Amino acid sequence: MIRRLPRNSLVMAVIALVICSLAPLKASWLDFAVMAGIFSLISLSAGLSYGQAGILSMAQGAFAAVGAYVTAFFGTRLGWPTLPVLALALILPALLAYCVARGVTRMAPLATALASLALANLVEIIAKSWDSVTGGYIGIAGIAPVPGFARPALFNILVWSFVVIAIIVYESVMQSAHGRALNVVRHDRTRAIADGVAVAPLLSSMLALSAAMAGAAGWLYVHYVTYISPQSLDTGVSISALLMAVVGGASYILGPVLGTVLLSLLVKFLPAAEAQGLFYGGALVIILVVARNGILGGLERFRPRSDKERAPHVPHVPAEARATSSAPSQHEEPKREAVPLSSEPGAP
Amino acid sequence: MTRGLLVRGIDVAFGGVAALAGAGIEVRPGRVSGLIGRNGSGKSTLFNCITGFVVPVKGQVMLDGVDITRRAPHQIVREGIARTFQTPRVDFRMTVREAVLCGTYATVAHGFIASALKLPRARLAERNCARATDELLDRMGLAHEAGRPLATLSMGRLRMVDVARALAAGARYLLLDEPAAGISREEQVTLAREVRKLAASGIGVLLVEHNFSLIRQLCDRITVLDGGRVLLEGDTESVMGDERVVLAYLGTRHGEEPPS
Repeated sequence: MIRRLPRNSLVMAVIALVICSLAPLKASWLDFAVMAGIFSLISLSAGLSYGQAGILSMAQGAFAAVGAYVTAFFGTRLGWPTLPVLALALILPALLAYCVARGVTRMAPLATALASLALANLVEIIAKSWDSVTGGYIGIAGIAPVPGFARPALFNILVWSFVVIAIIVYESVMQSAHGRALNVVRHDRTRAIADGVAVAPLLSSMLALSAAMAGAAGWLYVHYVTYISPQSLDTGVSISALLMAVVGGASYILGPVLGTVLLSLLVKFLPAAEAQGLFYGGALVIILVVARNGILGGLERFRPRSDKERAPHVPHVPAEARATSSAPSQHEEPKREAVPLSSEPGAP
Repeated sequence: MTRGLLVRGIDVAFGGVAALAGAGIEVRPGRVSGLIGRNGSGKSTLFNCITGFVVPVKGQVMLDGVDITRRAPHQIVREGIARTFQTPRVDFRMTVREAVLCGTYATVAHGFIASALKLPRARLAERNCARATDELLDRMGLAHEAGRPLATLSMGRLRMVDVARALAAGARYLLLDEPAAGISREEQVTLAREVRKLAASGIGVLLVEHNFSLIRQLCDRITVLDGGRVLLEGDTESVMGDERVVLAYLGTRHGEEPPS
């Protein structure tokens, strides 16, 4: 029996250790590390939904906002203790995501993306209008730090521990039966159904998990920034998160973290905060031209591989074309096509 | 309770065109049933009705006495009816073992959260899936190719992987959609041997096929569809000897219209 090592989790743990030991050397590094960690969680959630479930979600920032508002409302306004608030900040976005996803995953990918955008707008409108709970346009201020993690260096460790835990959970899912099923769904839904996969619940579960990660990010964010308003975690954040995931490699477990750290560094060292969008856009264009599967996807091409591991490049058949080939129809043709699979270039 | 897969009185219409009108078929455990008919006779539609991909207007699909007509396709797989595809639908980057392992999903009972948290029941299921996969690869003679990417396999071997994948789902009934299409004669022999082995182990097989020699070799019973209706149903010898079948099915040469 093959036992697979949780490779990504180990790499992430090492990276987190390095970050947590270097960051406290300078106050500005520490602030950078904390924010990069929080954004890593949001872009990880975008990686889960887009890279694995194939849902181009524009609502990851909104899920983080829900987590943040839950924390601000229950923690600060109602004075609940930290852990139950954290649990709520994980569960409420997950529930919201699951319910919405059950409705929309049947639709075409573009329609699903628009539905998520609509959801994000809805969350923003509620945040702006429900004065008694969200504080309206002004928001909620004065959120206390996490007890025991008030010092930035300690809080940084907490943030990166969350990232490591998120990666461990992510990797567990991908190595399980559900992860394999997700891979099949992404490639060919009909095939997945024939394997016995209930596609909509599976994709919805994945989006719910991603929303829980975003919710955790919101919990951390609001404790760090001590303030939440409708502008804090808006659709712009969702789009940046998606971009960071794509740049790093959305379908690779560590891709979103890499993308976040790189793009955050880029923005930090390049001048003019207003030009942030310009750099993001430029990075996206470069990535799409140079390495369509993100940086990790680009690197994989140079990795030496045994023939046991992966097949050589296979001409990609569009999913639509494949889907029609055995779509239920009363028109049967004697398909005696000789598929020249054995003569694939590079076959051993 | 009747053991077996019993399909009766199926009506299907696609936008006013009747694809099936009262069609049916029977598959018994340990037996091989053949489904033949000309192009457009409704074989694929009937196949899709059984697997739940098409919901019939009328009629029943009974599995061991339970009505499964309106179940979703993924539920039907979990009930024990698995299918293969005429053109294997696979991710060619996967290895043989990975592909068969994907088939074990239907045997997994634990939820998504158990997988995410690696709960003991998820770990146990994972071990069982791996063991079932290795056993199947052994049984189907695929063990020595387990690590090969699917892109390097011939059509015949791909079909065997597809069969193994369907069996990995715990199938008691196996529906094969033209398994002999596009494979070599040698591979057809292997296929026939494997199908016979499956039937001997108690699995009910439904074979949709154009290849007459394979049908003759393998099937215990044959159902002939014509224009969405059952033209004929019976044991292999009587069906093969029937004049209508010979005329409507065998008697045509390439390019020649059959008499109707």
